[in-house]
Amino acid sequence: MRTDHTESDVINGSFHQPSDSEVQRWMSSAFNMAIEALENGEVPVGCLLVYNNIVLGKGRNEVNETKNATRHAEMVALDQVLEWCSHRDLDPKEVCKHTVLYVTVEPCITCAAALRLLNVPLVVYGCKNERFGGCGSVLDISSGDLPDTGTSFKCIPGHRAEEAVDMLKTFYKQENPNVANPKVRKECVSPAGGTITTHTEAAPHEDDVKMAVSD
Amino acid sequence: MFKMEPETKKRKGMEYDPDSWHVLPVLSDEMSDDVKLLDAYAAPITDKRQTSRLVKDLSVVHPLADLHHIKRVRACKDKSSPHPLEVIVCLVSDVSVPTTFVTQHQRPASLTDLLSSKDFNFEGLGEPFPVRIPARAPLTRPQFERASRHWPTSFHEDKRVTLGLKGQLFTSRQKAKIQEYMTTAVEAARSGREEGMDAAGAVIVDPKSGQIIAVGHDLTRDHPLHHAVMVCIDLVAWAQGGGVYTYEKHPACRYTASDPQLYAGHSETSGSEGSVQPYICTGYELYVTREPCVMCAMALVHSRISRVFYGAASPDGALGTKYKIHCQKELNHHFDVYKGVMRQACEELTPFK
Repeated sequence: MRTDHTESDVINGSFHQPSDSEVQRWMSSAFNMAIEALENGEVPVGCLLVYNNIVLGKGRNEVNETKNATRHAEMVALDQVLEWCSHRDLDPKEVCKHTVLYVTVEPCITCAAALRLLNVPLVVYGCKNERFGGCGSVLDISSGDLPDTGTSFKCIPGHRAEEAVDMLKTFYKQENPNVANPKVRKECVSPAGGTITTHTEAAPHEDDVKMAVSD
Repeated sequence: MFKMEPETKKRKGMEYDPDSWHVLPVLSDEMSDDVKLLDAYAAPITDKRQTSRLVKDLSVVHPLADLHHIKRVRACKDKSSPHPLEVIVCLVSDVSVPTTFVTQHQRPASLTDLLSSKDFNFEGLGEPFPVRIPARAPLTRPQFERASRHWPTSFHEDKRVTLGLKGQLFTSRQKAKIQEYMTTAVEAARSGREEGMDAAGAVIVDPKSGQIIAVGHDLTRDHPLHHAVMVCIDLVAWAQGGGVYTYEKHPACRYTASDPQLYAGHSETSGSEGSVQPYICTGYELYVTREPCVMCAMALVHSRISRVFYGAASPDGALGTKYKIHCQKELNHHFDVYKGVMRQACEELTPFK
């Protein structure tokens, strides 16, 4: 295991690449969070925010239980980091500048922008997010030219990607407990986004029908 | 949590002149960019009686497969011309005319260059000349008008888009309503500013009832991700029995709870409440003083918003300026966006840096 960032790392704003053992350790914890999401009827995405070898935030998708489509694992974990900072009277952006996100699925466009706004410099993730991905799959927000939207960040993709995909597949195969009367079902892999109910929801609205069919 | 008071306070409302601003649709690049042009050869039809035969024969040799929008024959622009009709022979890319013709002899391509098929009957066809034709079907009336100057195309007009581009999509009554909602968003922005927040405000409306579901303003001093739109999305969640954050300290951030009476009967029967109860922002409209950022714009996709109206553009805006997330093809939900609502009042809130 490597040591914490040195003083000069912090001063230069540079960032050490996490070692293989660090990646394995934190990602395995992120996968546990994803399993927890799965057990709670949420899209199986889990993540950790790690600062100086300390886990400042842990999160899993909780969109269905909060009825807020932005409650992705990353947003939940970021809230914990903010709280940690506020207890210590630290500037969250300064702390986030030295924090790595470990997440089972590529962050969506919303989360990628949020990570930029908080200056998180590095994201280690499992599988791609073909439907909503903000680190290249749909848009590349992570390295986009957005001077008014925080700072860009680097990504290390592909850690246990197949496993992350399998979990999503498992989720999309099972009945969505939040929708009693699914009208449309699709056997497709649809990573983390907001609202799983899209696929199975009874679709009264024309757009919804179109959306479900085109998924 | 504050429940929203019924709107007893009379709107000062007409503080702004509804004629002083225009609502303009934010269209996809496909709809707003100029249609690209392709180089082609056309030829005059010197014997009108040969027209249908020539069109048939030409379409065998050069079918113009991806150009169904192109009308193969056009009436000649110059009325005094001896030949009244002109026809597209082929695209420049369909044939390989030896470059020597052009460079050394300055001779334009001939019919035999373009129609190498031995048994082509040239009767009634004059010498070819270069033209430029639209590469794809025009989607809007301005595109159609520009494309038609080059060569006639078919056009399936979307009347709403045409009216939108002329700033005539909304009646003056609708415009007054839009102004009323945006005025509420501006007032929310000002309340936020009084608390030391960024001056950005947002309102979410159920257009079916005309009811305001949520009013929010920027809260980034409390939480760096609490832009006005994110606040409103969470307030809508509260209105539906969910929600994450508390807003007691910010009285201008408020919501109207869904009427439980309205849904009670249905949810007890087959448990199919999903189809009856409001589902996040499905069917709702957002009025926001400034163009949402990437985070907020994508949050609106996740939330299934149906329409967005904003006042001022933002430098990193994701609904028109840097991205057009509302019409991003790969995403599974799209919505209409209109800009320019009470533009001046909104720009005054958000001075460009």
